[in-house]
Amino acid sequence: MQTRKISLIMSILVLLGLLAGCAAPAAETGAAPQAPAPQAAAPQAAAPAGPFEPMAMSAENCDYGGLFKSIEAVDEMTVKFTLCQPDPAFPAKVAFSSFAINDADYLEATGGGGELIEKPNGTGRYKFVDWLRGDQIIFERNENYWGEKAIPQTLVFRWSAESAQRLVELQAGTVDGIDNPGPDDFAVIEADPNLQLKQRSGTNIFYIGMNNTYPPFDNERVRQAFAMAIDRNRIVDNFYPPGSSVATQFMPPSIFGYTDGLDWYEYNPDMAKQILEEEGVLPGFKTTITYRDVVRGYLPNPGIVAQDIQAQLADIGVTAEIVVMESGAFLDAADRGEIDGFHLLGWGADYPDATNFLDFHFGPGSSAQFGNGFPDIWEALAQGATKADPAERQPWYDQANELIKQHVPMIPVAHGGNGAAFKADVEGAYASDIGAEQFGLMNPGGRDTFVWLQNGEPAGLYCADETDGEALRACEQVMESLLAYEPGTGDVVASLAKEWEANADLTEWVFTLRDGVTFHNGATLDANDVVLSYVVQWDASHPLHVGRDGSFTYFPGLFGGFLNAE
Amino acid sequence: MSTSAATAPTAVEPIFNTKPRGLWSTALRRLFHRRSAIVGMIILAALIFVAVFAPVLATHDPTKSLIGVENVQKRQGPCIHLLGCPTDQPQHFFGTDGNVRDLYSRILYGARLSLMVGIVSVGFAILIGSFLGAISAYIGGWTDSIIMGLMDIMLAFPSLILAIAIVTVLGPGLINTLLAIGIVSIPVYARIMRSSVLSIKQQDYVMADRSIGVPSGRILFSNILPNALTPLIVQGTLGIAVAILDAAALSFLGLGAQPPTPEWGSMIGQERNQVFTAPHLIVFPGIALILTVLGFNLLGDGLRDALDVRQRS
Repeated sequence: MQTRKISLIMSILVLLGLLAGCAAPAAETGAAPQAPAPQAAAPQAAAPAGPFEPMAMSAENCDYGGLFKSIEAVDEMTVKFTLCQPDPAFPAKVAFSSFAINDADYLEATGGGGELIEKPNGTGRYKFVDWLRGDQIIFERNENYWGEKAIPQTLVFRWSAESAQRLVELQAGTVDGIDNPGPDDFAVIEADPNLQLKQRSGTNIFYIGMNNTYPPFDNERVRQAFAMAIDRNRIVDNFYPPGSSVATQFMPPSIFGYTDGLDWYEYNPDMAKQILEEEGVLPGFKTTITYRDVVRGYLPNPGIVAQDIQAQLADIGVTAEIVVMESGAFLDAADRGEIDGFHLLGWGADYPDATNFLDFHFGPGSSAQFGNGFPDIWEALAQGATKADPAERQPWYDQANELIKQHVPMIPVAHGGNGAAFKADVEGAYASDIGAEQFGLMNPGGRDTFVWLQNGEPAGLYCADETDGEALRACEQVMESLLAYEPGTGDVVASLAKEWEANADLTEWVFTLRDGVTFHNGATLDANDVVLSYVVQWDASHPLHVGRDGSFTYFPGLFGGFLNAE
Repeated sequence: MSTSAATAPTAVEPIFNTKPRGLWSTALRRLFHRRSAIVGMIILAALIFVAVFAPVLATHDPTKSLIGVENVQKRQGPCIHLLGCPTDQPQHFFGTDGNVRDLYSRILYGARLSLMVGIVSVGFAILIGSFLGAISAYIGGWTDSIIMGLMDIMLAFPSLILAIAIVTVLGPGLINTLLAIGIVSIPVYARIMRSSVLSIKQQDYVMADRSIGVPSGRILFSNILPNALTPLIVQGTLGIAVAILDAAALSFLGLGAQPPTPEWGSMIGQERNQVFTAPHLIVFPGIALILTVLGFNLLGDGLRDALDVRQRS
């Protein structure tokens, strides 16, 4: 009898434990929707009142290391940026979607995070309607759009990590367009009269990164040896789709800053092995190859390529274990410099300039993914970024590319050809080289809904604090920056600013805003919206400098650094 | 399983008329009279043969990429010279995979891995599980309540989810997969052992031992355990099939065997997006898995029918 009592008590205890376990998260989720509700109501009532009070923010001096000296609203429709150094790429940078303009009141109301990440409020062709986490994001046509209005009434973003599933959905007709068909599916799509394939040129780079704070990668000769140990031709020939090319340097050939005639180390496994033996790395070196199992334009076959690199390393006697990480965790770990061994990562162009590639990865403001930076590269990049004339800039980038080859922070492997596929009846379908498709410009055969199926779910929709193209593309439907890239060519064109001009030495930039632009919540665009949108990113001590995880990776990458950073 | 039972009765002979035989020889006789069990045994014999002689049977190194070694494309379909494949092309019985490795050789070596995973993890589970079950039943009282309570908690989780949780904590890899699958299978064997021991404990011969003062440990190990083995053997055989499937599922998810190890589940997982363009990469490992699991299931069913005295017609 006693044992029965005990087991009864025990089972009750277990049940209670389980209940407590379930109740704790349930209570959290139950409370969550209520908390932001009062905040959500606030931005709706964003009516401008009283006379215009121009906002401004300036750095005391330029010693903090960033590019910005000051940002000020000259009048209601004019914004002036003063820079510490000349920046010829400034228009291309401000056109980027990480620097989209938010309504100042909405920024305040959301506290710089929270709702801002869940419910973007922009000026774009599409209004955000709903985000069903794990399933889809729904957008609706903005009837008050200042420019050419969207053709499909509704735009739906969906995602699937499996290229086979994306193709099946396109073939079945449940979606109108898919991103990144599998390399082996290119031929299938081209042979199908119901589908069309739009290819992107390889304005990207796939590289094998090494962090120089972990031995033996702290030894430059060792890194150079590994650069000789990888047969890049073999990887591109076997595992990349048509339209791809072997990388000779970090810069893709079609983007300014590419050095003609520069070639990477020749594949020479014997020499590599000899150097590694001289440096005491071999025999018996064990390391890891870390990657995320997601398909990107620069790496269409991550698992297969990782295994091929593993096999190539095995050929010179290096044992490499393959480690697969979750995409977000992988990026964060790489940026914090926590990955020992090799990591497989890549980069796609956001705007066509060397600064987007070299400064972001090897500049003084770059992340710790390659460990400690190289001051001689910084110097060359600083020189290149501050000259106005492309002919004057090019030699500095030639030097930077040469130095990167010497220091080998990473091994450039491929510029991956990739593309998007659409139903044949989608008019105006295109695949943007920088992954910034505007679906409002496409006509899906007269249907009023366009369904887009991409690789992954955005982590958040406040793109000041996102780096993943999957998030940026979604932001770009809703949000707009001062300038924009022309679809197709990538040239910088007017957007929220109808015109812009710079002084002779390219340190003062004045943007004149378009009249009568309204945000989706009804607020009217003015210069203060622009100033605050930039200041919350620039000033690390600003109360609205919150974001999703607060890293705001693009801002220091492109503009040198934060103000008031610790 | 009902179909195999239906074919059986004609083969069973009444044992009263024959000379008395031991339990095991009777069981073996009965086993060999079941066609399905024989099929299972043949499959398993073939599998064990393949696993043991994989280096001899394989045509290529299972982890070696053939880029630059042979003139062969990645994900090429099967090419068998006897079946009309042009002789100027290199022969690959099951084709090549995405890394240009010979799929046939990989599947042969995969048999080693799957068998090892199944037998080791179930062996581990049986050892620990039967020990816990036996102690629990023999001692009873508090010990019984605590051990069986724990087992019930573990049984409350779906086994694959629990295995995923364990592997996530321990980190992916083959050894951790073995451990995870072993751990989640413990409760089943503990329960079986407990119920057998509980019933055997009341048998006259155990009572007799006890009355003449044989030590408890000796009673448990020399009298009770041997008689409680039958259901464990049956469950263990069936359990190996489940363990192999679970290991393949974990590897499919990238948590089990790590590349370039030729594991059937991870082979399917890696090429899952090529199901339309290169179906042989999914089909052949899939067939290998199906055959293995089928073999263990058929044998397990046969063993149950043969060993379980009560089920006899």
